[in-house]
Amino acid sequence: MSEWLDALDAWHAMNSHLVRALLAGSLVSIVCGVIGCFVILRRMAFLGDAIAHAMLAGVVAGYLFMKLVFGAEAHAPAMLFGSLLAGLITVGMIGFVARMSRIKEDTAIGIMYTGIFAAGGLLASLFSQYVHLDLLHFVTGSVLAVEMADLWMIGFVTVFVVAVVVLFFRALQLTSFDPVMAASIGIPVVAVDYLLTVCTSMVVVSAVNIVGVIQVVGMLVTPAATAYLLCDRLQRMLWASAGFAISSFLVGYWLSTAINVAPGSSIVVASSAQFLLVLAVAPRYGLISDWLRRRQMVPQQLVEDVLSCVLKALGSSVDMSVIYEHVAGQRDRIRDAVRALERKALLECRGEVVRLTEAGEREARRLLRAHRLWETYLQRLGTPTVELHAHAHRLEHLHDEDAVDYLDDQLGHPLLDPHGKEIPEDFVHLRLGATVKASLLRQGWRARVVRVVGSGGGDARIPATLQPGVVVSMGKRSAGGQLWELHLDSGSAVALDHQAADALLVEVLEAPRAETVGDSARSANRGDE
Amino acid sequence: MSDVPAIDVEHVTVSYGPVPALLDVSVKIPAGTLVGVIGPNGSGKSTLVKAILGFTRPDFGSVRIFGAPVERSKGRVAYVPQRGSVDWDFPVTVGEVALMGRYGNVRWWRELTADDRQLADEALKMVRMSEFRGRQIGQLSGGQQQRVFMARAMAQGADVLLLDEPFAGVDAATESAILDVLRQTKASGRTLVVVHHDLATAARYFDALLLLKQRVYAYGPPMAVLQPDLLSEVYEGQLQVFNALTAPRGRDR
Repeated sequence: MSEWLDALDAWHAMNSHLVRALLAGSLVSIVCGVIGCFVILRRMAFLGDAIAHAMLAGVVAGYLFMKLVFGAEAHAPAMLFGSLLAGLITVGMIGFVARMSRIKEDTAIGIMYTGIFAAGGLLASLFSQYVHLDLLHFVTGSVLAVEMADLWMIGFVTVFVVAVVVLFFRALQLTSFDPVMAASIGIPVVAVDYLLTVCTSMVVVSAVNIVGVIQVVGMLVTPAATAYLLCDRLQRMLWASAGFAISSFLVGYWLSTAINVAPGSSIVVASSAQFLLVLAVAPRYGLISDWLRRRQMVPQQLVEDVLSCVLKALGSSVDMSVIYEHVAGQRDRIRDAVRALERKALLECRGEVVRLTEAGEREARRLLRAHRLWETYLQRLGTPTVELHAHAHRLEHLHDEDAVDYLDDQLGHPLLDPHGKEIPEDFVHLRLGATVKASLLRQGWRARVVRVVGSGGGDARIPATLQPGVVVSMGKRSAGGQLWELHLDSGSAVALDHQAADALLVEVLEAPRAETVGDSARSANRGDE
Repeated sequence: MSDVPAIDVEHVTVSYGPVPALLDVSVKIPAGTLVGVIGPNGSGKSTLVKAILGFTRPDFGSVRIFGAPVERSKGRVAYVPQRGSVDWDFPVTVGEVALMGRYGNVRWWRELTADDRQLADEALKMVRMSEFRGRQIGQLSGGQQQRVFMARAMAQGADVLLLDEPFAGVDAATESAILDVLRQTKASGRTLVVVHHDLATAARYFDALLLLKQRVYAYGPPMAVLQPDLLSEVYEGQLQVFNALTAPRGRDR
């Protein structure tokens, strides 16, 4: 037994520095990782930097106080307490200046922390005969110089911070995410903010031991940012962040002994390298996956070309080879486009044969309508016939509903495009039960008059027979498509011009018989009502 | 019970400096209505919402929720934040946001119970967002994002919902999707107060309008509030074309 204890003692004597360093470093890593998550989500990184610098004044003040009042040299607890106090005073003063003057918070932070840091430096120089501080240690830190008192402090900070985060997790989460809601359900938002600031100060004070003032922000935010790239839940982010902090500490520590450099720098270098690696390879928010995603994105134009191509088969199936032949683009990309359409349930694929689904046909006809309306528009502008298709092919991808409706209206709701092909009807608005302008009705549709709108002289041209409630069916368009012929159930017929047909609102009752199959099938069944 | 207004604002005055943000505002909003709050920028719309929420304490006057002082009605009033003020990159999922609605009912040292989770799930089902439970909130469309926050308000068990400019900066499709959610929520018997900036749509969207600029200029049915002379008085000529608003519009029923 005693042999065993002797051995343990010997091991202690040999390794106590190493054990203390590893223990202190790991604990500091955990709290830095955990608090760092809140620091980056609340955008407090600069504040963390400020607290770290302000500590110098606290350390010097604590040292001097104990030395001058009690004659104690380098009294560690007093210096720690002093640095914590200096951190909190800095935070308080920043808040005060930002609230009470027109100075914004980031400027207030800059003013306060440099001021207090400089005051600390001044104090240290003025009383240099009393203060025997290794300022370099303060600036670069050293995990190897961790004393028992530091370890106790770090242990206390760890327990305190972890307890706060576990007990008040919901309050911390909600006040970070939505402070107004938090306040509305009775969470004391200001108190939670202060609690978090106290925790941050304590963590910063303990982390300065390990990496020094300058690099403490890296310790605080880098592991948290690394975790942020990977996690969609705060709880997991806290765990991951603590993990990344420990791993960068261990790697950095090993590196420092391997190549004999200051551990503070190598820890922060390790943690930055870790961040860059994750930034590159993270599955969702990483650069490589982002690049891959963008590469895999199928251009909308290609998708629409494929749809139009399949539509031309009029409801029947199409072989992939036909699509390859008629659609411009690489085969792989066309295949991607077909797959994208299948995912959206617009196409059905069976082996090498594809066909449109009902939704797919609707979408394709929407494009066709846009294409043919654009062609008609271009022809009216006097575009040479040979160029019509090419221009319209580019413009059809501008198929925003409002834009197409505007074209349709400006062109007087044409029935045929310049090549004599039928322009599909406005099936977005023309639905059973919908209230539409009578000008949208095509031959064979039945509708009930709702009312007349507009006062631009339209009323006069709408005969009194078209009273609300009267059921009409749309006849042929006459006078070169300029006049809308409405048949009343009484047997009489009325002709309206474009303006009048626009002013007459009707409720759609019935579509022409023979439901949508394709252009030719539809026009063959017209006019039998 | 039905005579007790859902929201009863009585003689509320709020100030941030020498100029009052709200001056002697009195409004009674009956349960089950969808009310729009309109007014120029800086007219105190958001302040009124914060006062009804109990977030801003009035200098004078009182706010009662179903007859009880707002200070003692915590949780009965839910707030749906302005889209621009939400951090959509925050690591939080749809399910977790809905669950936040239950936070007010759980003591801080207690865990959320199975009942809480069920209530949050039901609220998500109500807005048809159950299948997105595990999705991070930034990965949703605008209408879906709004629905998540509506679900949170419902999980909270709130009867009164306050929305700050839900239509600001969204496209037309999202706007109509959000409107659907508002109407559904109203149909379930809840009272909604919506800060709104678009006068052109105000008449179609709301049961009643509150025209506010520090004080209440008008409160009532939309057509009664959207009077050209009243609007030009409140907006001081910032907008000229009011006549078109009050005339019947093309797609109206």
